[in-house]
Amino acid sequence: MTDIITMLATNWISIIGIIIGGICIAVGVHFVPVGGAPAAMAQATGIGTGTVQLAAGSGLTGLLAAGYMYMTLSAVDKPGISEIVLICATGAVGAMIMISVTMIVGNWVYIYGVGVPPASAKVDYDPLTGDSQAPYVAAGTVGQGMPTVCFVSGAIGGLLGGLGGSLVYCMLMWVNGDPAISSIFAIGVFLVNAVLPSYNIQGTIEGFHDPKFKRVPKAMLACFIASLLCGVIAVMIPGAGGF
Amino acid sequence: MEPAMGMGIVALMGAAATVAGCSEDLESDIGSQSNPNSQVQLAAQVGYPHRIFNKAISGEPPSNAMYCAVGAGVAMVLMSESVMSASPLIAIAIGAFVAALLNGVFSTTSYMGRNASQTRFNQYVYLDVLRNQILSLMGHAYITTFCIVLLSYVMWNQDLIGHPFPFPVIALIWGLCVGAIGSSTGDVHYGAEREFQDFKFGAGLNAADSGNITRYAEAGIRSSMDNAWFCSKFGGPVTGIAFGMTVFLDNWRSTAFGGWVSVAVGTAIVILLIIYNRKIETYARNKYGPFPEYAGDIEA
Repeated sequence: MTDIITMLATNWISIIGIIIGGICIAVGVHFVPVGGAPAAMAQATGIGTGTVQLAAGSGLTGLLAAGYMYMTLSAVDKPGISEIVLICATGAVGAMIMISVTMIVGNWVYIYGVGVPPASAKVDYDPLTGDSQAPYVAAGTVGQGMPTVCFVSGAIGGLLGGLGGSLVYCMLMWVNGDPAISSIFAIGVFLVNAVLPSYNIQGTIEGFHDPKFKRVPKAMLACFIASLLCGVIAVMIPGAGGF
Repeated sequence: MEPAMGMGIVALMGAAATVAGCSEDLESDIGSQSNPNSQVQLAAQVGYPHRIFNKAISGEPPSNAMYCAVGAGVAMVLMSESVMSASPLIAIAIGAFVAALLNGVFSTTSYMGRNASQTRFNQYVYLDVLRNQILSLMGHAYITTFCIVLLSYVMWNQDLIGHPFPFPVIALIWGLCVGAIGSSTGDVHYGAEREFQDFKFGAGLNAADSGNITRYAEAGIRSSMDNAWFCSKFGGPVTGIAFGMTVFLDNWRSTAFGGWVSVAVGTAIVILLIIYNRKIETYARNKYGPFPEYAGDIEA
């Protein structure tokens, strides 16, 4: 018991880092324009896949870049705060690249393959470009494709997801120094924090202009609690396992 | 590592990823996995029994992550010195074969289970559909797994890139990524266009027509092979480009530049993509114009 308390007391910074990372992931998931199954039939605005799957796909791609950067920097010395900032930025940009490429190619399919202009059904005018949206929404659908506002929102979502995943990884590396355990646990923490907000999203969300985006505080609270639990367990596992 | 060698490796990884993305999308089109499956599943229930293969094992990202992790796990065991020190190429080929067998098991049980549960809607289990398409599903799964395990091996190998994550974890992450990309890009071509090809071109599926999938082909009754033939002309290749671009751009900026420069280059790529997206959005709006059925008062 004393060991556990000592372990928690020694690694409290890592627990806080994991919580911040978890909250970043939760907020990032809300930014990603996800149309779910209807979007695959060009029936809803956004990317035609599930919330968790897309967030995990982009965030974990960022994690690969962050893991490589961590190894490069730690070859010199144990990474401090400035190195962690660079690692998290690398992860965030990796996730942004993945999600932006996915959205651009998704729009190719909508525009050239299905023959529809990207349009949002949640707003009358695109908040960023001012373009009218309603006349371009096909009958019997709630929009299609990724208009500019959704694209920018998706890139921000990728940024937050990649940032959160990389931060969790760095914090775990501080505790145990083992890339294998840290990467697996970072994937786990990522999925926990990507699944919880999807109850808020209920299948589809267009991005920061969607009315559902106002539910973010609830997801942040839920993910705070979940990440706290994950953090407490994460800092104890290596000690208890004797790594 | 020399810069030229580094760039060569990144290019090889990009090429393998392009092939993997394309075959992943075609595999999901033949098997009708992922989101367009909702319409295949619904079709019989609303009175349109069909001969399309129906296997929604899970979302594409988890299923591909599983195949790739299994492939990499098997390859890693075979390569280890305490087992048989197999050459990497043979080990990866055997690993991908095991993953393809797994795909076959899941596809068979999924098709049998789903169609058997729909007999009350006159949807039968067609054994010839199962026999004809299971091998092409497994073949595509083999190509996907082989390419992804190969590129993960290149990333993991200490003499090449030397990524610190374990081999199966790298393969798992790339499998998840290829599934997410495949289900976001290529599947739209199958779900929004090919599945509803007898509706007028230039609109998404009207909710009132849900489940009314196209069941007759250019000749005879449509099978999933016809869908793969159609999607291989656009949906599959663009999925390959998307995954290849992700792997190439992400690794290129880490290999060619270091530190904050690689972050700046990555940000510049994202900004360029946002500008390009705006260009094609404007092109589509001007080219296609507003929908004639629109009756609201907002001007186009």
